[in-house]
Amino acid sequence: MPISHSSLLSSTPASIRSLWLSALAMLLALALSSAAFFAPTHFLPWLAGIELVLLVHGMLNQGKISGLVRYIVLQLLFTIVLYLAIHGGNKVSEGVLAVARILLAIVPGWWLTNTVSTEAIGAILGKMMPNKWAFVVVASINLLPYMANEVREIYQLQRLRGARIAPKQLLNPRNWGEFSYCVIFPLLIQLLKLARQTAVAAKARHFGYHAKRTLWPSQRSEHDN
Amino acid sequence: MTTNHSRGFKLQDALFIGFCATLLVALKSMLRLKLGLAGHSMLLMSFFYLTCYCTVGRIGAITACGVMAGAVAAILGIGNGGPLIFMKFFAPALAMEIVLVLVQRFTNLRWRLVIVALAGTLAWAAKGLIEDLLVGMSWQVALARFSWKVLQGGIFAVVGALLVLPVVRRLKAHDLVHSESKLDQEL
Repeated sequence: MPISHSSLLSSTPASIRSLWLSALAMLLALALSSAAFFAPTHFLPWLAGIELVLLVHGMLNQGKISGLVRYIVLQLLFTIVLYLAIHGGNKVSEGVLAVARILLAIVPGWWLTNTVSTEAIGAILGKMMPNKWAFVVVASINLLPYMANEVREIYQLQRLRGARIAPKQLLNPRNWGEFSYCVIFPLLIQLLKLARQTAVAAKARHFGYHAKRTLWPSQRSEHDN
Repeated sequence: MTTNHSRGFKLQDALFIGFCATLLVALKSMLRLKLGLAGHSMLLMSFFYLTCYCTVGRIGAITACGVMAGAVAAILGIGNGGPLIFMKFFAPALAMEIVLVLVQRFTNLRWRLVIVALAGTLAWAAKGLIEDLLVGMSWQVALARFSWKVLQGGIFAVVGALLVLPVVRRLKAHDLVHSESKLDQEL
């Protein structure tokens, strides 16, 4: 059953208190991410300790750590191989430290996305930017896993078709055009289609119909059951 | 009161800009390793910013994409700029937009895109120059680093700009670009 206009207008999934907490969480994540790059090396163990708490908290909130671990392991392997190839064995520790800083920089973002609802992030952004753009940011972040999956699938399919877009082949700028044609072009088509579908879906739910920001109720009303 | 006919970008265009910005940030986060490839981010920035402009066909698309990219990067904690990450995306976008307005009536689209991409590189390198000076580097060292960044970033930015037109022309051939602007006739 469709949800009435009045329920659309009166729904407030995020309370004032939770909005404040979400805003504080965003500031904390920003500060910790910044510290990962700006803090001197001797401060990093302290930062790691703080972020370990965030990691545990995120996992307690059903956050899946497998993606994070896979990303860091791949980054570590890639970095070490490149450091060995370019600088020799004497600068590998620099590469490890760089990846450690990357890990410390992305953990707060991971924690934020696992502990703060996207509605709350949207509400905070909605206070700082026009509603439409706040919606765009939240929709884009929500669709990031989908986009990453699309990139991966398109890339693998084009590799299977024999496109010269393997990481080693992409070191040659002459293959960048092929990468653009084989991967970026289909990806942009997908993004255009996705944008069209999302816009239609949002408008079907009266997005932009009222000057005041409206939210889809987080739980079904009694009338709908 | 309804706001169906609000000014600004259509929701579909705004979403496309947002998706491009998010993809830009995600790809940049994969390529951010500092291995002597300074300026590689200009390849992505010039490509995605100019693709947004050519696809949406409106002035303001580049700035919007820069703002979105900065916001997404700040939220996801991506990028090594910390609190300055927003400026890292916004400054080149704004410079590109301003230069785009200035050169709109000159030369053909391909050269306009190259000029705009180079303007973005200058803004990107200038931000680095300011940061270098703020941390206490001498003028000579800071200027040398600035020149090196302009050179490297400029090459990447031009490559990114040159990749835009073939991609957007294919999008247009597939009837996926529906703007009715002057730009549409130039494609």
